[in-house]
Amino acid sequence: MADAVEREIRQHLAALAQHGTETTIDLRSLPLSDADRAALQELLGKGEVAATINAMGTSEIWETSHAGVWWVRHCGTEGQVMSELVEIAFVPEVLKADPADVKAAAEKWARKRDVIAVD
Amino acid sequence: MELPMAGLGTVGEALSRQGVSRRSLLKYGSYLATLMALPAGSGRAIAQALADARRQSVIWLSFQECTGCIESLTRSYSPSVEEMIFNLISLDYQETLQAAAGHAAEAAREAAMEANRGDYVVVVDGSVSTLDNGIYSTAAGRTNLDVLRETARDAKAVIAIGTCASFGGLPAAQPNPTGAVPVTEIITDKPIINVPGCPPMPEVMAGTIAYLVTFGTIPDLDHLNRPKPFFGDTIHDRCYRRPFYEQGKFAKSFDDEGAREGWCLYEVGCKGPTTYNSCATMKWNGGTSFPIQSGHGCLGCSEPNFWDAGSFYSALPTRVGVDDRVLPAALAGGAVLGAGAALAARARKKAALQQQAGAVTGVSATREGSEA
Repeated sequence: MADAVEREIRQHLAALAQHGTETTIDLRSLPLSDADRAALQELLGKGEVAATINAMGTSEIWETSHAGVWWVRHCGTEGQVMSELVEIAFVPEVLKADPADVKAAAEKWARKRDVIAVD
Repeated sequence: MELPMAGLGTVGEALSRQGVSRRSLLKYGSYLATLMALPAGSGRAIAQALADARRQSVIWLSFQECTGCIESLTRSYSPSVEEMIFNLISLDYQETLQAAAGHAAEAAREAAMEANRGDYVVVVDGSVSTLDNGIYSTAAGRTNLDVLRETARDAKAVIAIGTCASFGGLPAAQPNPTGAVPVTEIITDKPIINVPGCPPMPEVMAGTIAYLVTFGTIPDLDHLNRPKPFFGDTIHDRCYRRPFYEQGKFAKSFDDEGAREGWCLYEVGCKGPTTYNSCATMKWNGGTSFPIQSGHGCLGCSEPNFWDAGSFYSALPTRVGVDDRVLPAALAGGAVLGAGAALAARARKKAALQQQAGAVTGVSATREGSEA
């Protein structure tokens, strides 16, 4: 089973390289056992980048040994796996700051500076 | 009186006030996409739609029930499910959870109905007593029957949570002393989504409500009004013990060698082949386990009339009139049913429903007889 998913990932990576087409595979929607997922993880290996997100629980993201192939594991607040994805992309979607969050942060910072200036 | 509508706003605004980032929403969008079997890349679109969506006004009515459904949701292993769902909705009335009591509580329900006329969603858990005009279950001096009719009149949709609201459940089990019926027998002019289970899975309840909020419409439903994303497969279809069924390896009792080896529980009464639900894939308690994994057969609690459909410990074929070829073929050992097993499961499902329909008719006859 892991071999079949690996072949699919390989095709998507070729599409990313040639056309810039990004794809996401939802591992939890596939009939994979824990052993299958572990085998796939082993097949893909780990690469140069790893990141942790602390938002509504922890998310672990790492680039596999194939550049552009990312393993994304979202966990809930008590550590249970909520979703597990393989993203074939230049940067995983969840690592990018959202424009709404950026705007809110900028406004908050500006307000903070104004308060300091008044004081 | 300030109307509840004033507090709705968008989901994005509600989350922002609590310091929840859009990244969290994206994570939740990915989770919902997984739950609802949507394309994996739709997490971003779901998150954006949720952020822009108005919080859905919800009036939650509890009738003849045990509070297990709301317990399932609020005491789910993952607080994030509960927290997130209460950010998606404005829960304007829920007897167990609301702070208001007495006349103030009923006033809140009426105010929410007035402020969101035609746009609120009614969630019902529990069946509805109809015998003697429904006097066997009342709150605030009014029958459930009366309150349901009044509240649903201007609702956008009704979600029947749990097997009692969806199919009558235990209150409707023979001899059905209160004339209990499901919501669909009372409300016939509104979209109704049935989310059965005793109790339903918290993720299924949350996912159904999230779908409604995200897309502003109801998900695809099966012939029993159940959302297909969660009730599209039988427990048997997705059971990890399925290979043993196909090999003809069955536990004969709960302490024999087959049981210890984890073989199929078909012969000790598992109702997985005729039961549509997500337990086998989502599992309970944060994905820890589900009944079959714990060594007990599925009871079929998300199916109509499960309480009266025969013993939990009798194998299905003797109860639902399964094609006689199925069991002997399996028992012959190593009968490779393969894809045919799925078709057989569908056939058994059809037979079960036909029998259940007959049984339900019998219950109705009993009730009518009692009324007479």
